[in-house]
Amino acid sequence: MKPIRKILHGWCFIVIAIGILPFVVPGLYMHYITGVMCFIAMYGALALGMGVLLEQAGLFSLAHPSWFGIGAYITGILAMRGIPSIAAIIIAAISVAFLAYIIGAPLLRLKGYYLACATFALLLIVDITIPQLGSLTGGHDGLLGIPPLSIAGFVLKGDFHFYYLTWGLCLGTLWFLSNLMRSRFGRAIKSFNDSEVASKSVGVNVSGYKLQVFILTAVMASFVGSFFCFYIRYANPLMFGFPLMVELVTMMIVGGGKTLYGPLLGSFVILWVREIIHIYLGKVLPVMNAQIDATFFGVIIVVILIFMPGGLAGWLDQLIQAGRKVRERFARA
Amino acid sequence: MTLFSVVVQYAISGITDGSIYAIIGICWSVVYLITKVLNFTTGEFVMLGGMLTWGFHRLGLGVFPASLIAVATTICIAIVIERATIRPVRYPSEMTYMMITIALASIIKGIVLLKWGTEVRKIDPFFGTDVLHIFGAAITPQVLCVLGFLIIVTVGLTWFLNYTFFGKALRASAINLTGAKLVGININKFRLFCFGLAGGLGAMTGIVTTPITFTGYQIGMLTGLKGLVAAIVGGWGIMGTVISALALGLLEGFCAGFISTGFKDVLALLVMIIFLIIRTYSITAKLRRTSS
Repeated sequence: MKPIRKILHGWCFIVIAIGILPFVVPGLYMHYITGVMCFIAMYGALALGMGVLLEQAGLFSLAHPSWFGIGAYITGILAMRGIPSIAAIIIAAISVAFLAYIIGAPLLRLKGYYLACATFALLLIVDITIPQLGSLTGGHDGLLGIPPLSIAGFVLKGDFHFYYLTWGLCLGTLWFLSNLMRSRFGRAIKSFNDSEVASKSVGVNVSGYKLQVFILTAVMASFVGSFFCFYIRYANPLMFGFPLMVELVTMMIVGGGKTLYGPLLGSFVILWVREIIHIYLGKVLPVMNAQIDATFFGVIIVVILIFMPGGLAGWLDQLIQAGRKVRERFARA
Repeated sequence: MTLFSVVVQYAISGITDGSIYAIIGICWSVVYLITKVLNFTTGEFVMLGGMLTWGFHRLGLGVFPASLIAVATTICIAIVIERATIRPVRYPSEMTYMMITIALASIIKGIVLLKWGTEVRKIDPFFGTDVLHIFGAAITPQVLCVLGFLIIVTVGLTWFLNYTFFGKALRASAINLTGAKLVGININKFRLFCFGLAGGLGAMTGIVTTPITFTGYQIGMLTGLKGLVAAIVGGWGIMGTVISALALGLLEGFCAGFISTGFKDVLALLVMIIFLIIRTYSITAKLRRTSS
């Protein structure tokens, strides 16, 4: 079978499975399952962008959750002032792109540990600054009472609407990224991840591409943040600090960042693991918050990095190859 | 209080903070130079030192035995971390190490949160609470204790690294790892030793500072990062780290005093970002080019 057709079949299967899921599950669990699936789609879209930035382009930027948070906050503040939802989302995306340009241009000259340290510092700066801004961001309580998303007169709210909206966003992101990585832009990104000197020597504008991919993923994170704040209808400084960073890194590592779909797979697995932890351990443990989740995710990160560096996607690849070998042996015999 | 005494007061609190950052910065650089691992659990060692001492103290031990046990426990934890999670990594890269240590920091934080909750904990000062007055500013004996600890650590480490056989071997392997291996230095032992040293120093810092700044499950990350700022700005050496840490502490102290306490934590992180960016522009090379 041709690989293109195989990929097409895979896409059809995923889209149909996602499309009919709310109608298949029993009505009692529908709200719960669609709710969790919304979060999976949004975190998945976020992790997809982070995967491209970290693993495909090799820019170890830990500030990804900040763009998500800034996007969510700008959208929320504008929507609460009565600006139409679409306009708020677009203004948030443009301002995040602008910020990412200003910050990224000098920052992306750094490499390796230093880039990671600087972006980690950036993450914490945003984390500390947002509650300090007082009345604009609502301090530690965050933004409360964000109006629902309305597009051209239709008011979208509730799990069912957002289920299709967020999965559309997430699969759209995956489709966009998989096309992007096969374009000139994507090949350039991969080339400077492998060897910066070699790609410079054949005329790739490395610093330009680095800045472009940084801004692109920042804008994608801002879009996800906008939908996130319209979905849960509030924004809180605790939502996108250090715990979210650990969570996203876990998704990327569990799914396997070397493949494009890995982070989405990781988001699916990790959020269901989190739900299981909340259901079964919620009563046993004295406190249950994002930091406790981050603890479990920390354990998962360490175990996966030591025993299964390729993540689930790498493991699947190995499984498929082993299956092919077995089939070949049978064919020969 | 006159303006002068206010300034002195801020300077004292700045120098206290600065000496804390200096010791933490030394912990970072000891591990980084030998193993090339940026150990993000350094801050958690500081937190563990304070919290464990408080925990053992609450069980009925005196402060001194409690702190000894806390330091020993932290050293064991640091060594276990190196042996069980850093060494077995199959494809070691900077990113893998960094993710693992960040994950470990998160695990330590979560366990402490589960065990002892979110409350701020404190230990009584070691030498009472009598206040000394200098130029109208107040100093508690605990501050002097922190300063003394910094001096002991700096002098002790400098002596150890320059005048003992083991220390010289350690410096050699920091300069050239392959060369050190070739002359028969056992790198694996050194890696364990460095993690243990960082854990022990971190825990002692935590114990000495707990009476002043108190401790809680969440203090590790920021305190640790400020130490990292000092280590990076100081160029990973002992004297450089101490000087830059004291400068950072003074900057923070005056910022907190005269501008706003809320943005005190942001300042150190901003300093790091700006320093790292300026570093890439290599000003000296540019000056040379324009003058010639």
